[in-house]
Amino acid sequence: MASLSDIALAPSRPARLHLWLAAALVLAALASLQVGAADVTLSALAGKFMRGEALSPLERLILWDIRLPRLAMGALVGAGLAVSGAILQGLFRNPLADPGIVGVTAGGMLGAILAIVLGGLLPAAHLARTGGQLVPLAAFLGSWGATLLLYRVSTRGGRTSVATMLLAGIALAALAGALAGILIYMADDQQLRDLTFWNMGSLAGASWPKVLAAGPLVALALGAAMTLGRGLNGLAMGEATAAHIGINVQRLKTAAVLCAAAATGAAVAIAGAIGFVGIVVPHLVRLAAGPDHRTLLPASALLGATLLTLADVIARVIVAPAELPIGIVTAVLGAPVFLWILLRRKGGLA
Amino acid sequence: MSFIATDIHVRYGPREALRRVSLTARAGELTAIVGPNGSGKSTLMGALTGTLPFDGSVTLNGQDITRQRPWQLAAQRAVLPQDSRLAFDFPVIEVVRMGLQAGTAGDRPEVPMQALARVGLAHYATRSFHALSGGEAQRVMLARVLAQVWEPVADGQPRWLLLDEPVSSLDIGHQLQVMEIARDFARSGGGVIAVMHDLNLTALYADRIAVLAGGDRLAFGPPTEVLTDGTLSRAYGCALRVSAPPPQHVPYILPHAATP
Repeated sequence: MASLSDIALAPSRPARLHLWLAAALVLAALASLQVGAADVTLSALAGKFMRGEALSPLERLILWDIRLPRLAMGALVGAGLAVSGAILQGLFRNPLADPGIVGVTAGGMLGAILAIVLGGLLPAAHLARTGGQLVPLAAFLGSWGATLLLYRVSTRGGRTSVATMLLAGIALAALAGALAGILIYMADDQQLRDLTFWNMGSLAGASWPKVLAAGPLVALALGAAMTLGRGLNGLAMGEATAAHIGINVQRLKTAAVLCAAAATGAAVAIAGAIGFVGIVVPHLVRLAAGPDHRTLLPASALLGATLLTLADVIARVIVAPAELPIGIVTAVLGAPVFLWILLRRKGGLA
Repeated sequence: MSFIATDIHVRYGPREALRRVSLTARAGELTAIVGPNGSGKSTLMGALTGTLPFDGSVTLNGQDITRQRPWQLAAQRAVLPQDSRLAFDFPVIEVVRMGLQAGTAGDRPEVPMQALARVGLAHYATRSFHALSGGEAQRVMLARVLAQVWEPVADGQPRWLLLDEPVSSLDIGHQLQVMEIARDFARSGGGVIAVMHDLNLTALYADRIAVLAGGDRLAFGPPTEVLTDGTLSRAYGCALRVSAPPPQHVPYILPHAATP
């Protein structure tokens, strides 16, 4: 018979899930550091380290300036998108919600297209001040602008209507799409190429400045998101009932929108539009561990980081020495997985 | 200690859903709100629970409810909604545990199982909520509500159950079970306010009945005073005959066909 101390020491089911996912993330990270165009492998580097030899400048460059920031960026973007998806599915009480639904992606896309097509018109002095990061900056501002506008439109007398937000998000995405269309019409061939690649998402531009710019924001959003679990669980019964069991529903909604917008905005800014992670990852976690948001949110962060890191490894290897945009990989792998889930579940989603 | 609504006035656009309706529910009693569809029953419940904006005042145990935080209200009253849908498929016991959100029974981890046993569904604890029938889902929600205010009296103050059509999806046996639970809660010192449709069930269990029609309060008092041919026929706009058959002489309402 198990004694009381055994029960206390044995990790609970969610804790075990988190351990497994953390282990998977470590393996994915090792794979990401191992693989690349240059012939630099972890075992060779480890051997050198054991023998006390210094790394060559090239090896340092490849490991420290190319593969590590790329790994960090992939993990940040994957965790940010997956947690945003989980938050928004909880907020909208709809398993089909994804970060695109609050206008973040559309706004980010419009910002990026504006920067790509019209950026050249800016005076060179202003352009220099953005440090060559005009597109990510514009994408971030665009995604935040869209979310704040959406939040304003759907909040009346201190109450945010989630249904209005959903509808206004569709309208805003259509408007952003039309404006983007005008800019695309004006764009030259090179700009069109840049745009197309931005829309498919990529971690190819990974650098420490980008990681340091987006990292704190994503980390803050993820940290805050972990406190929303109980509230989002209560929200599953509807807003009125959530309030009746003691949840401050308006504060919960504001916090949820801010967390999702911060994490997605930062992710979109540094990596472009990467689809499917936000919608598929929370589903996979729910299948494995149930809908409790106290488990779902951290597990989605870990699984999102793992899957995007792995998708990036595939993107780098599959057409080496060139590489695929990561959005293609996530969609090619994500869509069939999603269809499989839909076919396997007879009772429908939710 | 009581739950007092004074001059509640609610407008939906140009329509007045409630016209200066007042109601005093006392701890230790089951107060029922009855009336035809659209009479303002659920609107009055919305004002009592603080879900709807209203003119007038609602005080709970002497405190204005609009001045209290959600968790302060949650510690004093639990609300059973009409709708027992759930966006995600939680296990039954987790749904009941959500009643502990306000921390009201936080140091009593056994309460959710006891609440589930009270509604006769202890063996359903690990089942999926979405696999339940409508009536079972409604009883699980009742267990959640009971878990939230498990002791009918806490710190010398009564706690309250607000039930919006608590028996709407239940068979007659479970209708009686749920009404017994509500009455026991009141007899133990708590207060119960229930929106009801079934007049005979209401006559059997309510200590006081408010009859609403067209946004006005037509009558308020004990069943024998309120449930009369005149009041009910006026409220529901159809011919109803009230009798009091032995042995209990509880009012019993029979409809009369409009055309023979």
